[in-house]
Amino acid sequence: MDLSFFASLLDGSLFGSFLGASSFGGIEWSFTLRNVLLGTTLLGVVGGVLGCFTLLRRESLLGDALAHAALPGVCIAYLITGAKSSGPLFLGALVAGVVGALTILVVVRWSKLVTDAAIGIVLSVFFGLGIMLLTYIQKLPLGNQSGLDKYLFGQAATLMPQDVQLMALLGAAVLVLLALFFKELKLLTFDREYAASLGMPVLRLEVLMTLLLVAVVVVGLSTVGAVLMVATLVTPAAAARQWTDRLGWMLVLAALIGGGSGMVGALASASVDRLPTGPVVVLVASALLTLSITLAPRRGLLWSRLRYLRMVRRIRRENLLKDLWNFGERRGDEPGQRVPWTYVMGLRGLTGGRVEATARALEQEGLVRRGERDLRLTTSGIAAAQAMVRKHRLWEVYLTRKLELAEDHVHRDADVMEHALTPAAVAQLEEVLGYPTLDPHGRPIPPARGELVSTAPISGGAA
Amino acid sequence: MSGGPAVEVHDLTVAYHTEPVLWDVDLEIPEGRLVAIVGPNGAGKSTLLKAILDIVSPVTGWVKIFGEAYAQRRSWVGYVPQRESVDWDFPTSALDVVTMGLYGRLGWLRRPGRREKELALESLEKVGMEAFANRQISELSGGQQQRVFLARALAQDARIYLMDEPFAGVDAATEAAILTLLQELRATGRTVVAVHHDLQTVAEYFDHVVLLNLRLVAAGSVESTFTTENLQRTYGGRLTVLTQAAEALLGAQAERPDLQGSGQG
Amino acid sequence: MRPLFSPSPFFVLALALTLLSLTACSPPGPSEGSIAPGELKVVATTGMIGDLAAQLVGDLGTVTTLMGPGVDPHLYKALESDVRTLSEADLILYNGLYLEGKMGDVLVKLARTRPVVAVSERVGEDRLREPPELEGAYDPHIWFDVSLWLEAVAPVEAALVELLPGESQLIGQRADELRERLRAMDQWVEGQIATIPEEHRVMITAHDAFGYFGDRYNIEVVGIQGISTASEAGLADVERVVDLIVERRVPAVFIESSVPRRAIEAVQAAARARGHEVRIGGELFSDAMGAVGTPQGTYNGMVRHNVETVVKALVGDLDEAAADSVVTAEEGTP
Repeated sequence: MDLSFFASLLDGSLFGSFLGASSFGGIEWSFTLRNVLLGTTLLGVVGGVLGCFTLLRRESLLGDALAHAALPGVCIAYLITGAKSSGPLFLGALVAGVVGALTILVVVRWSKLVTDAAIGIVLSVFFGLGIMLLTYIQKLPLGNQSGLDKYLFGQAATLMPQDVQLMALLGAAVLVLLALFFKELKLLTFDREYAASLGMPVLRLEVLMTLLLVAVVVVGLSTVGAVLMVATLVTPAAAARQWTDRLGWMLVLAALIGGGSGMVGALASASVDRLPTGPVVVLVASALLTLSITLAPRRGLLWSRLRYLRMVRRIRRENLLKDLWNFGERRGDEPGQRVPWTYVMGLRGLTGGRVEATARALEQEGLVRRGERDLRLTTSGIAAAQAMVRKHRLWEVYLTRKLELAEDHVHRDADVMEHALTPAAVAQLEEVLGYPTLDPHGRPIPPARGELVSTAPISGGAA
Repeated sequence: MSGGPAVEVHDLTVAYHTEPVLWDVDLEIPEGRLVAIVGPNGAGKSTLLKAILDIVSPVTGWVKIFGEAYAQRRSWVGYVPQRESVDWDFPTSALDVVTMGLYGRLGWLRRPGRREKELALESLEKVGMEAFANRQISELSGGQQQRVFLARALAQDARIYLMDEPFAGVDAATEAAILTLLQELRATGRTVVAVHHDLQTVAEYFDHVVLLNLRLVAAGSVESTFTTENLQRTYGGRLTVLTQAAEALLGAQAERPDLQGSGQG
Repeated sequence: MRPLFSPSPFFVLALALTLLSLTACSPPGPSEGSIAPGELKVVATTGMIGDLAAQLVGDLGTVTTLMGPGVDPHLYKALESDVRTLSEADLILYNGLYLEGKMGDVLVKLARTRPVVAVSERVGEDRLREPPELEGAYDPHIWFDVSLWLEAVAPVEAALVELLPGESQLIGQRADELRERLRAMDQWVEGQIATIPEEHRVMITAHDAFGYFGDRYNIEVVGIQGISTASEAGLADVERVVDLIVERRVPAVFIESSVPRRAIEAVQAAARARGHEVRIGGELFSDAMGAVGTPQGTYNGMVRHNVETVVKALVGDLDEAAADSVVTAEEGTP
């Protein structure tokens, strides 16, 4: 995977400015910028890491649900204290978040509802309750209830040093937890019941993770607002998943993407007027996600398209090889004899240009020699073609014997499979079939002599 | 063999929500046998395994593994869940999944190291999957995924293995490989309890059978217990299934010689 | 035996909805024809309008205010009980200029059966602010310019006279008195703000509710996050405000009753980090008045409170006792 982009984000110059330089890229390194930059970066790191687990548990909506679940807590805290002071309101949101998250856990565990539905139910029930309370409060002659529903929600541009400290504390808690229980959390996320069978306290671990998540979400809500918080839990993790197939790397990448987005967003919002910080951070993260979905190797859209085209071309080459070989076999002659262009042109419904291009590619590999009117296999071409035919016929045998298909039905299936079988699979196939020598049509199965030089297994696309 | 049963289930009743899924099950599973749990869909087969594994808690009754509660015998038991029960797009490798089988032994705060990696590789070799150790698990075929799950259980080095439909949705080569593996396990004195769906192969693959349909219908050796009458009591009026079962009993036992003794690499 | 007719749950629901809509479609309606003095029912949306109307109506009827103290009119949603109150009213007064954003539809419907009057309707377009953030819409916060609020008296007066033609003289007299009081207040505010030293005459709040106030009384108004409470501040915006505070040595910034104080606190902390101590001058009432029964619960008291708070905080030579009183005023809700 290519980390150079992130490396350049994190290189010395930026950290240099952390250590006291007074300006960075023309932006003044001020009190506000420091708080906002550190805050959005820290939140991005913590949200990215936790988001990996919520994503893999298919609970990405949880952040959104908790943001909504906070409202009744805020209202009740206000009703109890009668004042709009952040302390009690924060506590109220925290308690409501914990109750909401645990309700989701309980509902999923002890009902037939799936996670998505449980999250949706908690979201709407809690939010509905919040709106009800808000309407009730609106009618009270208190004089200061206005804006209660927004009071808890912060904005990224107004982060304070104590917010940053709180985030750093939470971040440390998350990292320590991960360092201590990485393997347990991984297993719990992958296969809960197996973890339980090993005697892991799965419920307690889940509760611990959930509480931590609630704490991060509520702190996020009250410092940077709902939009950025919810996005931070979803976007970096989803982007990171595109680049790697290992949980450890996914966590690291999500932290980098989340932190990097926070940093870039803060800097952008500091350099341009009327650019709201939170939304800009979300935009940067979304851009990275789009990039990841398109460009990431293996999982990326671009790559899978390329892989597909490469596969199509390989199948054409292999088919041409086989056709040339079959031509020789049918004549009872040496397989290396000259085959007229006119024969191969009409065979597979391809345009002449495609067939010619395929033959040209095979010539470059040294498998085919092209002439004006005809073309023929070279010695290594014969070996490669023989391997193809062998796979094809073995597979036909397998299909007729194991799946009891009629002889006349197997050819087409074998045509597909011969391109996908790895050498190991062919060996296994032969062993299972008891080393047959004739295919279902009574034609000989050529012996193993060599494989097509340029082939790689198609399935899975592993290098 | 230690004489006593490998698993003893007494008066077990399990309920999800309001519906009981297992009623008063009394069962003894002898050590060193290959045991099939057979029954229609919704008969509580998986639940029985999970109750033995203490993953679901019973309404009444208890389970003993070699005479002790599960908590004391945890390290003696290996588990192969249903393949569909997990998300195979999880970012991890085959080797890593197998290493998970060693987490119980590792305990808290210790990370798997070189030794664990070697043990996991050995287990992968036993199921013929060593070449796929570093593959992302979503790139494996269904049969290969099932083998990875088996390897994970093997890594636990248990005395009794509980498997939830190990033969479901696998290719013929994997089926053969799994069967060989089960036979090897039996040869070393291990007990295997597997939920099994294919009635035609019960008699061929297993030597002990548990017929279950919410209640225990019958349990015992395949010869004495896997009878048309017992199957009828298990599957009730489901005639098509019964016909299949009858065919299975009459004809299928000697078939499929090609699967016997074919290697797993 | 099977019952002949067993309604499905959906049928029951549909029936219930139909009945509900029938009752909703036929409100009691205003009393037709002439209204006896003392029986007039006036409903006002905000406290400011209610206050104004009450001074004209006096003993001729009752004035009900929908949005209680401390309610943000931008976001107020009509309750079921509000619809009842409104449908029983002889006259409905609202601010207009989209202040009552979420009640517009309800008001339009009610206007078919009774007079519904926007108190801002006679304010000349040339006197309305058109802040760029609102994209063509006018700033609705006209009550902060007392001379503009004066224009709100006439439409109310006219509407009342139409409903109670027999009392036109009394109503006209009350309106003139009210206008007189407002004119005096306008001058008082102007005089008070003028006592602030020119370089400190800047009012920094979380959002721009005080545009008319600033225009009329010659005090610069700076909002950190623009006019709407829904948008978000950018880092550069915060920095710009901090720069201004530090450069002009602004002594105080203000929090608002309906907007979170975090933005203001962040600005205060940032200024402090640059060596300039800026106080939080107190809490201003922006979109709603204070609790009923307190001085801030009337239009007069609210304006007074805002002006006194601003002047006290910005004049500079505030002694400690005065500072304390500002703090109590800021927490000052019973």
